[in-house]
Amino acid sequence: MVEFIRSIVEHINYVASVALFIIGLYTVLTHSNLLKKVIGINIMETSIFLFFVSIGYVHDGSAPIINLGGDRVIYVNPLPSALILTGIVVAVSITAYSLSLIIKLYEAYGTIDLNEIMEIRGGRTNE
Amino acid sequence: MSSQHFPVYSLLLLLAAAVIIPLLNKKSFSKVKLFLITVLVAVWGFTLKTLLFVYQSGAYSYNFGNWNEIIGVQFIVDEFSALMTLFVMSLAILILIYSFKDMEHEINKDQFTGYYTLVFILLFSMIGITYTNDLFNMYVFMEILSITSCSIISIKKKKENYMAAFRYLILNTIGSLSILMGIAMIYMVTGHLNMTQVYQTIAEVWQLYPTNILTAVGFILTGLGIKAAMFPLHIWLPDAHSTAPSPSSALLSSLVVKVYIFSVYKILFKVLGQSIVVALGVPTFITYFAAVGMIMGSVFAIGQKDIKRMLAYSSVAQIGYIFLGLGLVTIDGLSASMFHIISHGLMKSALFLSAGAIIYYKDKRNINDLDGIGYEMPITMFVFTVAAFGMIGIPGINGFMSKIYLSFAVLDANKPIYLILILASSFLNAVYYLPIIISAFLKESKDRKNIMEIDKLPKSMLIPMVILALGSIIMGFYPQLIMNVVEKAVPTFLF
Amino acid sequence: MDDLIVKTITRLIVPFIQVYGIFIILHGHISPGGGFSGGAVLGSSMILFTLSYGLTDATKKLPHKVTGVLESGGIIWYILLGLMGILLGGKFLSNKEVGFFMGQAGEILSAGIIPLITVAIGIKVASTVITLFHTIIEED
Repeated sequence: MVEFIRSIVEHINYVASVALFIIGLYTVLTHSNLLKKVIGINIMETSIFLFFVSIGYVHDGSAPIINLGGDRVIYVNPLPSALILTGIVVAVSITAYSLSLIIKLYEAYGTIDLNEIMEIRGGRTNE
Repeated sequence: MSSQHFPVYSLLLLLAAAVIIPLLNKKSFSKVKLFLITVLVAVWGFTLKTLLFVYQSGAYSYNFGNWNEIIGVQFIVDEFSALMTLFVMSLAILILIYSFKDMEHEINKDQFTGYYTLVFILLFSMIGITYTNDLFNMYVFMEILSITSCSIISIKKKKENYMAAFRYLILNTIGSLSILMGIAMIYMVTGHLNMTQVYQTIAEVWQLYPTNILTAVGFILTGLGIKAAMFPLHIWLPDAHSTAPSPSSALLSSLVVKVYIFSVYKILFKVLGQSIVVALGVPTFITYFAAVGMIMGSVFAIGQKDIKRMLAYSSVAQIGYIFLGLGLVTIDGLSASMFHIISHGLMKSALFLSAGAIIYYKDKRNINDLDGIGYEMPITMFVFTVAAFGMIGIPGINGFMSKIYLSFAVLDANKPIYLILILASSFLNAVYYLPIIISAFLKESKDRKNIMEIDKLPKSMLIPMVILALGSIIMGFYPQLIMNVVEKAVPTFLF
Repeated sequence: MDDLIVKTITRLIVPFIQVYGIFIILHGHISPGGGFSGGAVLGSSMILFTLSYGLTDATKKLPHKVTGVLESGGIIWYILLGLMGILLGGKFLSNKEVGFFMGQAGEILSAGIIPLITVAIGIKVASTVITLFHTIIEED
């Protein structure tokens, strides 16, 4: 039991990221409000960023800049952070695009609730 | 100018053209057209040279900035990726020439430059995905591809387009995020992002962390399955492909989906390797989903009234064939599947373009209104008929050849049950394609007599369609043209 | 929004935000930060200006045409820098191998083409952030 709790505490980043991933996926799939779907997507993105950055973390390592860490030679792996910067750019552009689509949908249908939009379209679902 | 830089030149030319287009003078559209065609032909020349170079001197890798492959981005240019880019660019030239006239019908005049910017970035990211040998780079190109492919749907300012694009965007993003999660898990245990490096270390890692690899494969395949419209995850496809402007539909269903399938090949065979994939039982499940998709896609298509919606469901069934060949994990199966990627691209773009021509000229989308249209638009309906016969599997057209290859591969793999499914699916294809052809040529139109006359379509729309139909026929009679390259490429995937 | 306090404070702090953004961009190769972070700071200074002064004043300060040219220019600048590597006999984006000035680590003038690329990315990101914000709020 103690071992189990210790392993959870040691890997708390991974546990948190999986929890966030599931929360995000649940939000996307169950809420009919389009804005909440976009928020769910953002939560999922955050969870993956947390996961990626946790991979690169090295215990007791310093920032990977020459001459900054003094005589210590342990550096944190910089690659995941650099990758996640790209991931954040992608996330920003997807959020911007989906928000502008939501604005257009609101102009067209007068609502941002998926169920109401489906009613307006005459109950035609997409299988 | 040494030949090894040609893939990079083709990428950069597309990107530079995409950002130069908005700066051009919007009034003189003819000059913009000339610019677009010049750039496309130049890129096509580069891809052709790449294919010839690779065919002569073998595959090679290209490291960006001379960084070694452990920390830098690497391109790998092998036979199939060179063939795939040549195929992408050839179809793209034909579709874009068609689109110059058709898009006048679909969108406002001041959106033209925006549309072509999006299309160029779409082509850029597709070529990037085919060449890249780096997992994270592949993810970035996929995100660019998903945003641009959603925007070429939503550029037509209709309610349905916004809804279809939003649905596509949400599902696509979930797919991309699953892929990124899978990549993160692979990076966690192997410490590499380069596909070749991962492949070298993964056999050892698999002994230590089997659960981790299994989860990663699950995430990546779910994500790619959403993007490639593998059967139970296809729900975005009919809306997206049927509401989009016709050139966009052709681009989306004949190229974009294919590029995602190509990355499934890469992930399964170049990252994980055949032994691990077979040990995990992935191919078996892929064949099950593919078999269900082959039948259900056709069954859904029978019930459709809208011609483009019917074509979109037909894509679901055809993607089933491709995944069936992939799931056999034999040399024959994989080459049949690659052959079908190309032949389906030709046929489906011919179908979408001819359906678009009918919508352009007659403004009719319902398949019950097409009586006697074969006398009014004979060339368009000839193209439609050739491509539809290919889909059904009439001998002499490339669809027949890919079905033959697939059937032999299935028999070789000792799974004759799938042969019955292929035959049943062909029969179902006939059920929904033949009525259109019969009513177009044999029924009397309500408002005009059946007098044969030549289509009153602009030449720039007719010529690309005819080239596509002739291409299908030529590929049906001389399949070795493609098969030679494919057979050279397949052994790099399987061992 | 016609609030004297907001307008005055905005006018006071926007230059400082912009200088900070430029600082981050220029020090991208020797300290944390770089093109994307600095560009986002620069762009958000313009967003702050738009929020307090309104869209018409903001587009007068920075018209759509200018941001469009900056966006395209950033990418083309990047491509040209990359092609320099090929012209000088290396691969695309080659840096040290083809003899760009490397300098001493930790100084502003070092690391070859990396600071130039960071500038291109900074311009691109800043103009994109501004364009995105302006396009989203103007459509009504």
